[in-house]
Amino acid sequence: MDLSPRETNVSPAPRVRKRQWRYVALLLVVAVAGIVVVSQFLTSAIDYYCNVDEIGVKEGCDPDRRIRVQGTVEEGSVKEVLGATMFTLEFNGEKLAVAYEGDPGGIFQECIPVVAHGRLNGDTFEANRIEVRHSNEYVAENSERVEKAEKAGCSMITG
Amino acid sequence: MNSTPRTEPARVGTPATRVFGLLAVLFLGWVVVGGLFITPADAIQGDSVRIMYVHVPTAWVAYLAFIVTAIASAGYLFGKRHSLGFDRVAGASAEVGVLFMALTLMSGSLWGRLTWGTFWQWDPRLTTTAFLFVTYLGYLAVRGLGGTPERRAKRSAILALLAVLEIPLVHFSVLLWRSLHQEASVLSSDGDVKLDDLMLFTLLVGVLGFTALYGWLVSHRQRILTMRDIEEAKGIDLAISERIAEGSVR
Amino acid sequence: MKDVGFIALTYVVTFGAIIAIVARTLITGSRLSKKIPDQDKPWI
Repeated sequence: MDLSPRETNVSPAPRVRKRQWRYVALLLVVAVAGIVVVSQFLTSAIDYYCNVDEIGVKEGCDPDRRIRVQGTVEEGSVKEVLGATMFTLEFNGEKLAVAYEGDPGGIFQECIPVVAHGRLNGDTFEANRIEVRHSNEYVAENSERVEKAEKAGCSMITG
Repeated sequence: MNSTPRTEPARVGTPATRVFGLLAVLFLGWVVVGGLFITPADAIQGDSVRIMYVHVPTAWVAYLAFIVTAIASAGYLFGKRHSLGFDRVAGASAEVGVLFMALTLMSGSLWGRLTWGTFWQWDPRLTTTAFLFVTYLGYLAVRGLGGTPERRAKRSAILALLAVLEIPLVHFSVLLWRSLHQEASVLSSDGDVKLDDLMLFTLLVGVLGFTALYGWLVSHRQRILTMRDIEEAKGIDLAISERIAEGSVR
Repeated sequence: MKDVGFIALTYVVTFGAIIAIVARTLITGSRLSKKIPDQDKPWI
């Protein structure tokens, strides 16, 4: 019996091999994607995440560096001045004036927690990015709870 | 030798999978109708809350799928018989998990644009979820690298047992770090359910519907993987017998 | 309804992908099932 390698190919090997190369390529793409995800996470962590009352107090929340500030938009503080949105952020009794070029978008409104990315300039925090945080509480529009909250002001809306 | 395939009735479904299919159609039908037209809008988020009825259940099913993949992988690795049935369940579950994780990322991104004001942010929950998705894409790639079914099963089982460790990290990332993503509303740390009644009902129906769909998909895809293995084994048997026949003629 | 485009896109992509994967699963299952004899199918 001759079982030496032959020239003609009746086995499905080439098809299988081609399929395997597709998976090798996918694995490479996955490895690159993994590196991108981790490096982006580490790069974005350079903007330190601080609450309003931690600026100048907590390590990493120095006033002279770019930071992310979290706080609640003070009721009645939102104003539009020459295309910029001005408002006050508050957290734990501390307040911070914020200026943002343009409309923050999302569900930005008074009494809602937001994260502002930017740098402190004097007493005003100049933000170039605003993100709205929303709580994990969901209440139907026009429910009694909402009406009560609206009458009571910020504290009940933000929970 | 007659290599023409035998014609058999096409049978992949069973009564159990038909029950899964029926439940999925009924529950997901409610998700579409109830989620889009009957449930109320949220007081703060408005109508964008309707995305939650697909976002949360698809995330739940993706977690479930990856946990099942890990359990089935452990069944293969540590079982006495090293049954390939476990490996196929692991593979089928990971395929479905990757699909649902992709849908979670897509719906989360659109929901994020409406609420946060941005499609994407490299924050702890989003980043760990993206990394989980990439890991399981890698798992599927590793499954396709070739070799015998036993080698495939062993290497992918080891990877699945490592990859599943990412799930607690994803789930608790919103508690471990400051995150843009909200905490869980149903399985919250203080035990309170923070949802309007009809919203909660629709969300739970969604979870049941997507879970039933997961059951249907995994059952069918696991059977497809079994038939593929049989087909490939038959192809190899055929090639060997042809070689032997060829050798005898010479 | 506000934000209708994003909400509709979410539902269309989600259920579109599900319908596509279910259809593909049924077609592949049926094709393979015709090639494999019933005695090799442990679920029967």
